[in-house]
Amino acid sequence: MASEAPQPPGNLLSAGISVPSGRRRPGAGEPSHPGSGDAGSRHPSAAARPSGVNPRRRRSGRGAARTIAAAWPYLLVLPTVIGTAYLLFYPLLRSVVISFQHFRTGELIRGGAAFVGLENYQDVLGSAEFWTVVRRTLVWTAVNVVLIVVISTLTALMIVRLGRRMRLAVMSGLVLTWATPVLAATTVFQWLFQSRLGVVNWALVSLGFDSFDGFSWFASGQATFAIMVLLIVWQSVPFAALTLYAGLTTIPAELHESARIDGAGAWQIFRGVTFPMLRPLFGLITSLEVIWVFKCFAQIWAITKGGPDDATTTLPVYAFQVAQSLHKYDLGSAISTLTVLILLVVLVAHLRRMYKHEGEGL
Amino acid sequence: MRRLLAAAAVLTIAAGLTACSSSTETQGEGPGSAGGTASTKLTVWIMRDSISDALVQRFTSDYQSAHAGTTLDIQVQEWDGIGQKVTSALASNDAPDVIEVGNTQVAEYAASGGVKDLTDKTTDLGGADWLPGLAEPGKIDGKQYGIPWYAANRVVIYNKDLFEKAGVTAAPKTRDEWIDITTKLNKGGDQGIYLPGQNWYTLSGFIWDEGGDLAVNDGTTWKGGLDTPQALAGMDFYKKLQALGDGPRDSDEANPPQADVFAKGDVAQLISAPGGAVAIEKANPDLKDKLGFFPIPGKTADKPGAVFTGGSDLIIPEASKNQDAAYEVVKALAGEKFQTDMAKEMSYVPNRVSLAGVLSGSEGAAAMAIGAANGHATPNSPNWAAVEAKNVIKEYMTAALTGDAAAEAGKASQSIAEILNTKS
Repeated sequence: MASEAPQPPGNLLSAGISVPSGRRRPGAGEPSHPGSGDAGSRHPSAAARPSGVNPRRRRSGRGAARTIAAAWPYLLVLPTVIGTAYLLFYPLLRSVVISFQHFRTGELIRGGAAFVGLENYQDVLGSAEFWTVVRRTLVWTAVNVVLIVVISTLTALMIVRLGRRMRLAVMSGLVLTWATPVLAATTVFQWLFQSRLGVVNWALVSLGFDSFDGFSWFASGQATFAIMVLLIVWQSVPFAALTLYAGLTTIPAELHESARIDGAGAWQIFRGVTFPMLRPLFGLITSLEVIWVFKCFAQIWAITKGGPDDATTTLPVYAFQVAQSLHKYDLGSAISTLTVLILLVVLVAHLRRMYKHEGEGL
Repeated sequence: MRRLLAAAAVLTIAAGLTACSSSTETQGEGPGSAGGTASTKLTVWIMRDSISDALVQRFTSDYQSAHAGTTLDIQVQEWDGIGQKVTSALASNDAPDVIEVGNTQVAEYAASGGVKDLTDKTTDLGGADWLPGLAEPGKIDGKQYGIPWYAANRVVIYNKDLFEKAGVTAAPKTRDEWIDITTKLNKGGDQGIYLPGQNWYTLSGFIWDEGGDLAVNDGTTWKGGLDTPQALAGMDFYKKLQALGDGPRDSDEANPPQADVFAKGDVAQLISAPGGAVAIEKANPDLKDKLGFFPIPGKTADKPGAVFTGGSDLIIPEASKNQDAAYEVVKALAGEKFQTDMAKEMSYVPNRVSLAGVLSGSEGAAAMAIGAANGHATPNSPNWAAVEAKNVIKEYMTAALTGDAAAEAGKASQSIAEILNTKS
């Protein structure tokens, strides 16, 4: 029952995830606002009132004080907005500006970058290598997101059915995975698959697969791609699984019971009851994972630098290579801008499809 | 709500204006400060493991007492990611005063316009005597930007005990002898030689021995050299040698650190600069007097194997605020006193041919000096650093060792040519 449901892990609230209230019983509490960190019972007020002032009495006079009072929240937020604008918007705009200039090491050091209009974009869009990288990135994103969503859904469904101690063990495992620093985990994966001294080869050889003695995983493009998928899925499942678990706990158990009484099997319960209720959450998880996998850079760069033979060169890796290894900052910026645009197209297409179904199937 | 929109709009416009107006990088004009007025603080960047701490201390105290009013701040930098760090430093308003750069990277910095031209100081520094493998990369269009600092090249470090056990009495002088003794040593649980698959410096030496090169410039365009018959012969020899041990084919000499692997005591030979012996002895003190050295064998007994002349040059960024004082530091570091001290302590080849005799004391340094006579540099192009950064040769080597060398060589050569021919 909803009132006995365990609270979603606190960090989900502060991450801005608002668990959908949809079909919750009235009185279960309002959905929390992002950033409020509260269970949401306080009425959100837009303006802080100066203490001891009754707004009704002030309405007709003292316009200046009232203006300041109304502007106060914006002033409080201003430092953060300026910081964000400087740290996020300025580099973004600068990158777009550079993509319209001729900008190599010389311009970086001596200055004097000339505007060349759309030449960089023409260069990038005209190169076959770019389109290969785009295709590869889409395949990369698709494979990873499908695996992440499927595995985390299964994990969440499993956690709901576990007893208290096992649930604690599984959730601790997930949280520890989530908490492992990204590059530490990446390094460990590198060691696992090392050709002579790695644990994976040793285990496979012990099990009798002698062909894996000294097998160079990172020499084969497909093997390396598979290892990277494994790493990314492993690192991404905890967040998705815990969020979906949180969503699953909001579904009233009566719905499942009545469906079972009606004779529905597990898959039918999922398709008919669970998924429709959690559709927004699934949509959110998938969108977030698409974004994060698409722009995944650190792990790929740390292990393969885009190799072997460009097998793991996705758009962010390609942009970095072109900009920092080949010192073609202008082309790198063009590729980055195109990456953002492609990602927007992918997301909009996905979201539209997701919400087209909103009307049907209820 | 309207107020918020207005504020956001203003901020976006402001950010946009700032972006457009700062498309010209201003860089600090830094004519050298008059020496000795106020206390000058000079920043010097040297690379990890270049010179020992004791040497740094000695140099700093000597220099500071000889030049009153100057303080030296010598900072150690890591090799990983140094390319971006130095590029950013050269582009900034606040660069260090002297930077040590690898001789394969100096051409790129020199061509960027961010480095001071020191052609007129060449005679003052004894330029006629410099090691070609260090002086050439630092020279672009006839102008000298990088000042040679030190060189080191590879030799073969061997385990005397394992050689005795296998009955090998003399160091090999030719490639055939080398393969013979390595096969003899590669028995029981011991490895004949630990050679990782991606040690491209060693491969370059074998290619140069065959008469090939990594890339050739016909005057206007670069052509990759890995698919020539000579280079393929070099790769073939590398493959034969690499198979006589347990070196991983998909990583280089740093993953895992080859000194640590050798230190375990079951590896008979290792290709490394003599400085590697220090790391081996540190990892396993039992091997202290058990290490021998011989130069990499060539094809015939009269000429040692070609080696890659690794080393460093010193540059002065244009953005440095104390260029004259920085020059004095460079002069001291490249001068005879420091070079002699450094060569003895670190087993490096000093930057002048005339000082090579300094090394006669140490076996490793002596072997290295023999090899240094046949030392070569990487193709002299500002874009060579990009070839290294994109790992072209390392990937080629792994592919060649696990598959068909000839096919992969074509791809790699094309990649090299494309990168080297990029116009900036």
